[in-house]
Amino acid sequence: MSKTVKRSDEPIWWGLFSGGGVCFAVFVPAAVFFLALALPLGWIELSHAQAVKAFGSIFAVVFVGAVIALPAFHAAHRIRHGLYDLKCRSRSLIKWLAYGLAFAASVYAMGSWLISFLL
Amino acid sequence: MKTMEVRIQRYLPEQHSEPVVESYQVPFDDSTSVLDALNSIKEEQDSSLSYRWSCRMAICGSCGFMINGEPKLGCKVFLRDYAAAGTLLIEPLAHFPVERDLIVDLEQFMQHLDAIQPYIIKEQANGVSEMTPHKQTPAQMDKYQQFSDCINCGLCYAACPQFGLNPEFIGPGALALAHRYNLDSRDEGRAERMPLIGSEEGAWSCTFVGYCSEVCPQSVDPAAAVNQAKVLSAQDMVLQLFRRKK
Amino acid sequence: MTYKTELGRTWWLKNSAFKAYMLREATVLPLVFFILCMLAGIYSLTRGEASWNSWVAVMGNPLVLALNALALVASLYHAATFFVLFPRVMPIRLGGKKVPDNLIVAGQWAGVAGVFVLAAWIFWGVL
Repeated sequence: MSKTVKRSDEPIWWGLFSGGGVCFAVFVPAAVFFLALALPLGWIELSHAQAVKAFGSIFAVVFVGAVIALPAFHAAHRIRHGLYDLKCRSRSLIKWLAYGLAFAASVYAMGSWLISFLL
Repeated sequence: MKTMEVRIQRYLPEQHSEPVVESYQVPFDDSTSVLDALNSIKEEQDSSLSYRWSCRMAICGSCGFMINGEPKLGCKVFLRDYAAAGTLLIEPLAHFPVERDLIVDLEQFMQHLDAIQPYIIKEQANGVSEMTPHKQTPAQMDKYQQFSDCINCGLCYAACPQFGLNPEFIGPGALALAHRYNLDSRDEGRAERMPLIGSEEGAWSCTFVGYCSEVCPQSVDPAAAVNQAKVLSAQDMVLQLFRRKK
Repeated sequence: MTYKTELGRTWWLKNSAFKAYMLREATVLPLVFFILCMLAGIYSLTRGEASWNSWVAVMGNPLVLALNALALVASLYHAATFFVLFPRVMPIRLGGKKVPDNLIVAGQWAGVAGVFVLAAWIFWGVL
């Protein structure tokens, strides 16, 4: 083979995708059930004061990482490859957009946590 | 004897600009395989029908076709399996260029197979001068044996949409064989194979559709091999970073 | 002269295995919706009590509830497909013997149940 082969950067995205996949499977079901169903339906109590206190704790970083940041990269990876499967062109634009938005979501959530934690 | 309608996608490049489907009535009993049906059509009805076959016992891997849209070995499926459906459509393997009738051009697959060096590589070419036997324990053999049963039939390529979308993708069969040799304790060629495996067209084109493993007549589980190769490639990338820093 | 058919955009509709694959990939769509809900929750949390209460009210909108219920189903379907892949991608050997696949799958489901129990303990003080 005379063709030069270039190392793919995919291990990075695949690592984030896999970590996010575990979180999506293990942490997200309970998070959806309690925060997105039980809370608005009144099955659990979570006042603003309680929520602020909980979000300011060190444990909230687990929530941000396992329920927001890693699942966001998982979603970005599947959307990127899914669009390729559907034969969407502009592959590099899709790649930048998908991971860029996941990164932005992660930074926003992590930053908010850090401010709450430090204040 | 019962008869069944067998529809076959025909393509004779000197006659057709694109493939056409032709229908045949084939007598069958419980022991009639799809390959038997093709042989019967060629002998009794239409001698111009072209297809590959050899062993009739699912070991040579020549008679892969799309049967009702699924990649199968013609000798391993029987007309009785399709009696309930009442219809049988035989097409050439998907994702490969069709040369004639059911014969596809496997060149792309062969090139990928060649590129991953599917044989034991020894770094020091001792050759015949040093006649040391390649000893291997059952535990060492157990690590790769699952991936060593490939018969190069190409069904996994016909099952792989990523290969269909991009024929440059090394593909399930060749990557499974690369992994088989990478896992072999006698082999020293992993470093030579890794660059190709770790490239965009290597293991990283795979999205674990998993259909390749479903259709494999030898239960090789190429999807598992490809994804284990991703883990190796990721480890390889991390190790490379440390090496560069030193 | 060979003949080659190109895959169209709808290739995945022609085979039930491909439809199941696309369904698996699509589980991230309701996940994205849920993540956006959580980001909005964090935003409202930092904006004060009135903002938090209106976020909870929006989360109670039937359409939002339905999409999040879909996200719950999607996460469990994703879990079912993801857990069986794990022992194939990373086979675990203990004492030279391969740990049975269904044991690893069961262990992962135990993890899901464990997180539910933990959350129930946090919110309800059950146990």
